[in-house]
This record gives sequence, C-alpha cells and structure tokens, in this order.
Amino acid sequence: MSNTNKTSKKVRSQSRAYKTSLGITYILLIVMGIIWLVPLLWIFLSAFRCEYQPDGTFIGTVTSNFFPKAYGFKNFADLFTATYYGVPNAFPRWMLNTLIVAVIDCIISTFLVLSVAYCMSKLKFKMRKPFMNISMIIGLFPGFMSMIAIYFLLKSIGLTGNPDHPGYSMVGLVFAYSAGAGLGFQVAKGFFDVIPNALVESAKLDGCSNFKIFMKIILPLAKPIIIYQALMSFTGPWMDFIFAKVIIGADNSAFWTVSVGLYSLLFGTHPDTNLFTQFAAGCVIVAIPIVTLFMFLQKYYVEGVTAGAVKG
Amino acid sequence: MKRILCMLLAVIMVFAVTAGCGKKDNKIVVWVGEESAEFYQKVCDQYVKDNPSFGYTIEVKGVDTGSVAGIVTNDPSAAADIFTTAHDNIGKLAATQCAKPITDEALINQVLADNPASFQNVIYSTLNDKKYLYGVPYISQALFMYYNKAYVTEEQAKSFEGLREAAKAAGMKAITVTGDDGFNMSFALLATKADDHSTTVKIYEGAEATSGGSKGESNCQGDDTIAIIRWLQDFKEDENGFKWASPDGWDADLRNKGCLAVIGGTWHYNTAKAAIGETNLGITLIPTLTLTEKSVEGLTGVKAGDVYRGGTFADCKVFMINATSDNKKYKAEQELVKFLSSKEVQNQSYLECMNVPAYVGASEFIKSCYDEGKVTESEYNLACTQVEMAEWGIPQPFLTGTLNTYYYSKNGPPIFRAIIDKTPYPTTGDQILTETESLEGIRKGLYLIEYIWMHGNNPKEFPSSLPQKA
Amino acid sequence: MDSTLTRVPKNKKSISDLFAPIGKWFSNFGKRFADGSIGTKLSHFIFGAGNFYHKQYIKGALFLILQVAIICFMVFCPTINGTPYGYKALANLSLKNVSEGGDFDPITGEFSAGSDCKLMILFGFVTIAVIIIYFMLMKMSITSSVKADMDEKIGKKPSTFREDVMELFDSRFHITMLTPTCIAALIFTILPTIFMIALAFTTYNSQDMNDKGTNLFHWNGIDNFIAVFTGEGSLGMEIKNRFLPVLGWTFIWAIFATLSCYFGGIILALLINKKGLKGKKIFRTVFIMTIAIPQFISLLAVRNLLGEYGPVNGLLQDIGATSGPIGFLGLHPGDSEALAKVMVIIVNMWVGIPYTMLMTSGILMNIPADLYEAARVDGASTVKMFFKITLPYVIFVTTPYLISSFVGNINSFNTIFLLTGGGPVYTGYQAGGTDLLVTWLYKVTIDQGSYNTGAVIGIFTFIITATITLITYRRSKAYNEEDTFQ
Repeated sequence: MSNTNKTSKKVRSQSRAYKTSLGITYILLIVMGIIWLVPLLWIFLSAFRCEYQPDGTFIGTVTSNFFPKAYGFKNFADLFTATYYGVPNAFPRWMLNTLIVAVIDCIISTFLVLSVAYCMSKLKFKMRKPFMNISMIIGLFPGFMSMIAIYFLLKSIGLTGNPDHPGYSMVGLVFAYSAGAGLGFQVAKGFFDVIPNALVESAKLDGCSNFKIFMKIILPLAKPIIIYQALMSFTGPWMDFIFAKVIIGADNSAFWTVSVGLYSLLFGTHPDTNLFTQFAAGCVIVAIPIVTLFMFLQKYYVEGVTAGAVKG
Repeated sequence: MKRILCMLLAVIMVFAVTAGCGKKDNKIVVWVGEESAEFYQKVCDQYVKDNPSFGYTIEVKGVDTGSVAGIVTNDPSAAADIFTTAHDNIGKLAATQCAKPITDEALINQVLADNPASFQNVIYSTLNDKKYLYGVPYISQALFMYYNKAYVTEEQAKSFEGLREAAKAAGMKAITVTGDDGFNMSFALLATKADDHSTTVKIYEGAEATSGGSKGESNCQGDDTIAIIRWLQDFKEDENGFKWASPDGWDADLRNKGCLAVIGGTWHYNTAKAAIGETNLGITLIPTLTLTEKSVEGLTGVKAGDVYRGGTFADCKVFMINATSDNKKYKAEQELVKFLSSKEVQNQSYLECMNVPAYVGASEFIKSCYDEGKVTESEYNLACTQVEMAEWGIPQPFLTGTLNTYYYSKNGPPIFRAIIDKTPYPTTGDQILTETESLEGIRKGLYLIEYIWMHGNNPKEFPSSLPQKA
Repeated sequence: MDSTLTRVPKNKKSISDLFAPIGKWFSNFGKRFADGSIGTKLSHFIFGAGNFYHKQYIKGALFLILQVAIICFMVFCPTINGTPYGYKALANLSLKNVSEGGDFDPITGEFSAGSDCKLMILFGFVTIAVIIIYFMLMKMSITSSVKADMDEKIGKKPSTFREDVMELFDSRFHITMLTPTCIAALIFTILPTIFMIALAFTTYNSQDMNDKGTNLFHWNGIDNFIAVFTGEGSLGMEIKNRFLPVLGWTFIWAIFATLSCYFGGIILALLINKKGLKGKKIFRTVFIMTIAIPQFISLLAVRNLLGEYGPVNGLLQDIGATSGPIGFLGLHPGDSEALAKVMVIIVNMWVGIPYTMLMTSGILMNIPADLYEAARVDGASTVKMFFKITLPYVIFVTTPYLISSFVGNINSFNTIFLLTGGGPVYTGYQAGGTDLLVTWLYKVTIDQGSYNTGAVIGIFTFIITATITLITYRRSKAYNEEDTFQ
C-alpha cells in the first residue's frame, strides 16, 4: 500500500519535474525562435515599407523603426520596372539569368558528382586513391586567386562577356560553377558506400555492364542524394556575388546574376542610391522560391547533411 | 517528360545566349554614365542619321563610371571602343596601355579652344616620351554642400559656425561627407583663404606632373593647413560638429536626423533629395570657417579670426579611346568624340541629364536656361554652385600611373582621417604615431601624406627636422 | 597506435607505386618499339597509325585528329589578348623576352601593346598541360596498337570500334565517368591553382607595374616569402606586422565559431527532440529558415539591423540604454575591435547552429534507447546522462564533421566579408581587426592588386588547412575503413 503510494508520488513528482522542464523547453525554444526570425522578419517588413517624407519623397534608406509606418507594394513595383546599371527591367532579367544558370549548373553538377561518387565507391581501378587525395587537397586552396586565371581561360575559348557576345559569359559561368563540382563527391560517395556491394556483385554475375548497374540499380536507390546534390548546386548560383561578377564582367550588367545585382544595389561604387527597401524586396523575391524548395525537400537535405557529417 | 524539360531548357539557354549577340564589325560601342545612357544613345542615333558617310552604327551602354577604369585595366579588349572615366584615371589608363592617344587635329583644336587651362593640364599623358592628348572633357564635377532647410537658414549655411549653431538647436551633428576618400577630403585640405583664395597647399603641381617631367612639388604642411586641421579636429570632437558618414550611407545620416548637411556633388542630388525631400534640400557653396585661438597656437603664418572657404577638387569626366579598338575605327571614333564633346551636346546633356558642362563659359548657358524657364530653380542652383566651386578648385593631379591612385585610395586618405580622429597610425617602419594632437604630430602626419603622394609608399624615416614650409 | 605503425611502410610503398609504372613504361618503351608491328612503330609518331594498320579506322582517325589538333595548337600559337599559346608560350614562361610596347602611329591609330606577363605564365602552363596530354595520347595510341598486335598474334580479331565503345560502358566505365570531371577540373581548378602558386614567386603587383607603366613583371624566387619576415615585399610592412595577428585571430575565430555552433546545435537539437514536445516541425522549420535563405541576404540583413541607424541602435537609444549609436560591427575605424569580434561570433552562431541542429537530430535518434534505460535504472540524472551518453556518442560520430567545419571556418569568407568587411580598420593597413586570412587575401589581391603577396597568404592558408585536414583525416575512422574496403 505504502509502496504503491510512494511510487505514485514519485511518478507525480517526476511528472511535475517533467512538466516544468517541458515548460522551460518551450520558453527557450520560443525565445530562440524569435531571435532567429527577427532579422528575417525585418527584411521582410522592410520590403513592404512604404513611407514618405512630408513633401512626398519616398524613403528608401535604412530607418530605425522596426515596424514600418505604412505598407505597400511600391518597392516590388519599382524593383521590377526600374533600370539598374543601364539595363531596363534589370531585376526580372537577373532573375531569369540566375534561373537559367542555376538549372543548367544543377543538371551538369549533379551528373558529375554522381558519376564520380559512383566510381569512387563501387569501381576498382588504379588511380582511385590518388584521385581521392588530389581532389581533397585541391579543394583547400582559397578560390579568389584562381578567379583571374579562370577568367582568361574562359576568354581563350570565347566564353566571357565581350561587346559582341555579352551572353556567352553565362555559358562561361555555368562552366566555372560546374567544372569543380565533380571534386565534391564525398557526401554522395558516403551515401553510395552504404549500398551493399553484394547488390552490385550479383548484378555483375547476371551479366550486367557497369553502366547498366549504375543506371538500373544505383540511381534508383540514390534518389535522396540526387535531390540533395541538385538542391545544393541549384542554390549555389543564387548565393554567389563575387565569382559571377568577375566571370560575367562588372560592365556586363544585363547578364549579371541576381545576387551580383542585389549586392550592387547596396554596395555599388555609387552606394548613395537610397535603395535599401528595394534591396529588401529583391531579397524576399529571391528567398521565397529557395525557401520553398528547402521546405519541400527538407527530408532529403537532412539526409544529405547527416551522411556528409558522418562520412566527413 | 524529363527529356522534354531538358530540351526546353537547352532551347532557353541557346536563346538567352544568342539574344545579346549578332556580331557587327561596323559597330562602335560607347560607355557613358548609366544616368545619361539613354540621352547619348538618342544623340548618337541622330548623328548616324545626319552623317550617312560615318559608316558605323553606335551602341551606347550605361555603366558605373566609378568602376570603368578598373574594368578597362583588367581586360581592355572586353571594354567599349570609347569609354568615359574621371580625368584622374588618365595616367593609369595611358600607362597600362589601355587607351589610345588622340591625334585628330580638329578634335585637339576643339579641346584646346573649349576647355579651361586647368583641365588642359590634366588630360595629357606621355607615350614613348611624347606628350599626347588622351582624354576629352565633357562633364565637370566639383563638391559643394547640401543642407536641410528645415533646420538651417540660408545665413547659417554660409559658415561652419552657423551650421554648428543650427545643429545645436536641433540636437544633431552639423555636417558629414559622402565618403572618406581623397576626393571628399579635399573640402578641408584644399580650403583657401576666403578673401583672395590663396593657399600654401601644393599637390605635386598639376601642370608639371602631367607633363611627364619631374614629380613637381608637394606641400601640405603650411601653417594654414595645420591650423585648419586643428580646427577640424575640434569640430569633429564638438557634439554638434563634424561626423563621418554612417556605414549605412550618408543619406541615412541626413534622413535619420543624424546631421544637417553633407558635402557632395551633382551625382548625389537625387539621393539627397530622397533623403530629406526636395522642399527641404538647400544647395550652397562649401561654408567658410573661422580659425580659433586654439587652432593657431604656435603657428606664425595664420592668426585667429582668419576666414577660410572649404575647397574642392574640380574634376572633369572625359571620353577616352580604347587601345585595343580596331584601327579601322580610329578616325570615326575621334569624329564621334568630337561630336559628343561639342558644346551643343554638352548643353543638351545639361538640360536632359543635369550633367554640368565642362567648357569655358558654360555658366552663361546655365543662366540663360534658367531665364528661359528650361530648368527648375534647384537645378539651376545646383549647376551654378558647382561652377562657382569649381572656379576655386584644382583638378586632381596625376603623375605616373599610380600616384593619383595612391592619393585616392592608398593610405593617404586613411591617415588623414586618423589625424582628424586623433587615433594612432603607423608611420615609418614599425613606428606608431600616437601624439596626434601636438603640432609636431600633425606636421609628421601631413609630411607622411605628402610623401605618399610623391612616392606611393611610406618613408623609411622622418627627416631630422621637418621642413617648415611657408 | 596500431594504424600508425602500419602506415609508415605503406607510405613508402605508395610513393614507389607512383613511380614504378612510369619507370616500367620507359623500360618497355624500347621493347615495344622493337617488337611491335609497323603500325605500332608508326604509332609513336603518327597517333592511330597502328589502328589504321589493324583496320580500326574510326579509332585511328580519332587519335589522328587529336594529334593534328595539338600539333596545330603548338605550331600556330593561337593568340588571346596579344599573348600566344603554343611553343611561343613555352618560351614566354621565362618572362625574359618581353616588350614594353607602346609603339603608336598617330595617323592610322596603329597601337602595339606590351607583353602581358600574367597571361604569359598562364598560357605557358596551359601549353605544358597540352604537352602532357599529347604524351598521354601517345601512350594510349601505342598501347592500343600493341593490344591489337597481341590480338592478332593469338588469332583474335582486333576489337571493333563498337566493342571499344561497349567496353567504355563496362570494364572501363570509370574512364567514361571520370573523364569529364578530370578535364573540367584540370582546366578550371588545377591549372588556375598552379597559376596562383606560381604568382607567389613573381613580382606581380599592380602598383609597381602601373608605376612603370607596363604589364611586365618577372620571377623573383622566394623573395615574397622572405618579405613576410622582413616587410620588404609589395605590401610593405603590412605583411610583417599584420600576418601574425590575422593568423591568430583566424584560429581564435575558427575555434570559437566551430565550438559555439557545434554545442549550440546539439543543445538545440536536444531541446527540439524532447519527448512530448509539440510543434517540433514548426520549430525546426523556423530554424531551417536561416539555412535556406542565401547567406548574403541573411547576413546583410543582420548588418543593417545592427547598423548605425538600424532598429537595434534605435531601440537602445529610445530606451535610453545608450546615448549614441553603438558600432557593433566595427564599420567605423574607431569602433571597438573586441565588440566586433564578439558580434561576428554571435551572428555566426545564428547562421551555424541550425545546421548542426539538423545534423545531430538524426544522430540523437540513433542513440540506442537501452543505454538511457540502463542509466535511468542506475538513477543517473538528465545532466549526467547528457555528459556520459549523449555527448560522447555524438562527438564520436561527428568528429569528421567537426574537423571539416573547423577548416570551413578558417576559410569562412562570407560571414566576415558581409558583416564587418574586416573592420574596424587599422589605419595604414589593409587587414582590419576582424579580417581572416581569406578576407585579407581578397583585399590584398582584388582591391590592392598585390597578387604575389596574396599568393603567399593563400599558400600559407592552404598549408594550415591541409595540415589539419591530413592529420585528422588520416587518423579518422572513415579513412582507415576506406583502406579495408579496397
């Protein structure tokens, strides 16, 4: 009797302790969640800020009030119609440029990564180990120094912006982005390593060629890692604001990617342009599709990240 | 489905790439400032129409004029046939063989006839020991002051002391600059005596420097300069004095009631207008300052109560011809430059894009436009003020490829800022200068700046006694 | 311990492994030439001759076309920006026969530009790569011919083109799969990297070159490395005076940034995965936002939020906590360096914690539940369980990640560049208070044009990251398991 009483007391006290700890957890998480969201919320609100001076001039600078005094879509309207750096309707163009570069880079890079990862994981050949070491070493050099070299190498094959063919620079950019992709095979290799070798061996006994094994057995199993790689290489071009400017050309503004454009709105050599709210609107437009993609593909992203972390 | 998607993407890619293409041998590409690209395209189209014998089509592209020089030196063959840049880049562009000299007699005559001597001194550079014309001026630029009329009266805006008074009443800082590079800092360094516009400052004597001869003479350690710097040190420390532009942008300073006025140029007009509203935007000369007892202490060449007017570099934007441009186009390019820099086109560009003309006597045209009601009062003010400031300014000199660049971006300006902020800075070798307030400290700092102008790097050591130039 | 003992001989073996085939190939060279058919003999000079001899026309033609292409490239020297490829590029590598250019004909506008040394070096390396490819092709051509000879000897028909292609999809599938990456990496990663390393041994810096008015520079041996100690290089005293402080801060930053994000992430993951917590998905989504949004957006948002006129300073002044704006990020030269350093680490936590959280969430769920059960029976407290079970397990599993994120933080360009720009400025120097080696490298090269000194900084950065990576990677489980796999 007393025994059961004791345990129930213990359970009760335990559950009370549990409840307080749960409560603390909630409070902590909510506080942290707010801290995490504040900067993003501020950019979001700034994008919709529509404040005017008493005499009717629009206020586009940073202001100290977190919540705008008036809301509207003016920033978005301006952003889509404005002429920046001599390019009419520059922002939609930059978006389109980035989309094209990102999609093609995504296809090429994913293909390269998968093919290299497959070779490294499931095929045996002489240069395997040296290749793995070299690819790891090469990745450790800081990239800026090689930018000018890459620019002139691309120029040698005509893939930089010149006054006659400004658009070729986009092909060059795709080259530059996807060329090194194959060397970043480690995460995908980690994933392939988990696929049992027995599966490959038995297929070989059935007379399957390596190509067939890759297409028919490995790829269908590799969906998570394909999506992870595709997501990574698709989002890359939306984030790079240094490399793209060098390859495409600081003057070739019609073919810039969106991040180069947005960065220049804020920090161009004429930074005195009162464009912060338009920059914020641009950020929102860029962030929405990428965040949506991430949210939908979260599962695969987590899988990739975890695989990468454990395999190194 | 996948295949269709891939095909579609391939098609889009090809389309996007070819959209901007179509190689034309008979095309001349011109780069101008992005704000006036549309105007120049229109003018050029008209020119081609009027001159069927010209034989080339013209494509005008708006670019960020501040970065043109960098783009051209990186890879001249990717740049336009004719490009615009500030005149102080001429030395660098000529030295790195990115620009072609101009030899057309008619064009040279037009340049010599139209432009003030100060500009003529800085548009030449040397090639194989021969002096050539490199740049053709078409826009003039100088600093002046924007201020907030809601807080500052016209009378107060005439002097820094008046500004401080207004700032005190409003609980703000008085004035800022749009940046802290050499061009912006000229407001203090090139200040001249208000009555006769005299100064002891010499910056490797523009004329001599550009002739490719000696490095000329530099002097910024005169008693007047030192007194002005001391005055500025105090003004910076003053609760209602000078402040550096916010990293958020100087327009944030104006707009967020950080300060009352800013020293800027015509190219800041729209931003300044947006920051405080057109009705509040006052435009005037850079104000005068009166030396205090404290600032002249220990100096002989100046006395308390002397009045100095803030100074400015008076620069011009020029057209240059790309060295890698096809020889066949050389003649046509010079013809085109001659047309684009003609008084008529300069005038038109003033009316349509607020570009202040560079030629002598432009102020008469500006006046006539105002009288005829072609420009608004503030636009007229803007141009008049700039022209007046430019008369007291000197063009940024350049000697070899870099000396001017050093002046602009390397160490000189940061040291100047450090002197005014009274923060320590490295001088020679491992030495750090800490006594930034003393007469000796200021003199050393100014000697350092001067040395950097002349040599492009810090001196190995200070001379045993600093020359006390008059 | 055991593995270190076994590794030493293996290292030696791997080096000899590397050279043995090359030596063997050379010793076989004469033999092959002597023993081979006419086709094989000819293959040494005309690629694909052996294939033609054995009626493998398509394969032979492919070899021949490539050979002709390379020879044309070498002989005719295609020229980009006035700088040639081909044999001239090899000669140019010495940087001796350079012209200052500048000949100008005032009438026609004929203008000759001077040599461009950076392109001379770059194109020289490309040409060397092409020559290496030539010899690889030669080897392939001979091997292919010898193989056909052998086939003929044992009475087999030489393989048809179709069979060769089929082979590329089966037993030689790795060649098909790796060739695109190898070519792309050679051109866009390896050559540029070698070019960068080479610049460290030159006088390439735009300031001197502009002064002299040319695009000319020359080789200067290890002078630039000595300049790190003497301060007499193109960057003056800066490289001497600022190198160690920047290096030190880079390490401090990397340690703090890695550990703060790592443990913060684990704690956050524990919080979110707490049993009975509702709305896990919502919380997780909130934190993933910072990963999903491009860094240049989220970091610039923070920069402006903390700016002089941003809402944070506005709020602090409104509630009267401060009288004037606080320079959180050291953007003004006079701002506090310590504050800027603390702020970048804090903001970096904001960026980095969700990433670790995601990663460790999965791992936490994999911890065998009976471990906790047993601990609970023994009466262990939650805190004790965390330190005795959770933490050791997570650390054990994620060591490789810890290393790679440490190396990643040494090279963390975005966070510093976008937040502080390296500020607060040290007057007279490029490297500010929060500059890492990489951001300094960026300023030195892209802003200042001191490519040679930049290359020296780059090489030092590489040595540091490579050392850390190699030491830890070779000790790691993944590497040693990798060995057993083969």
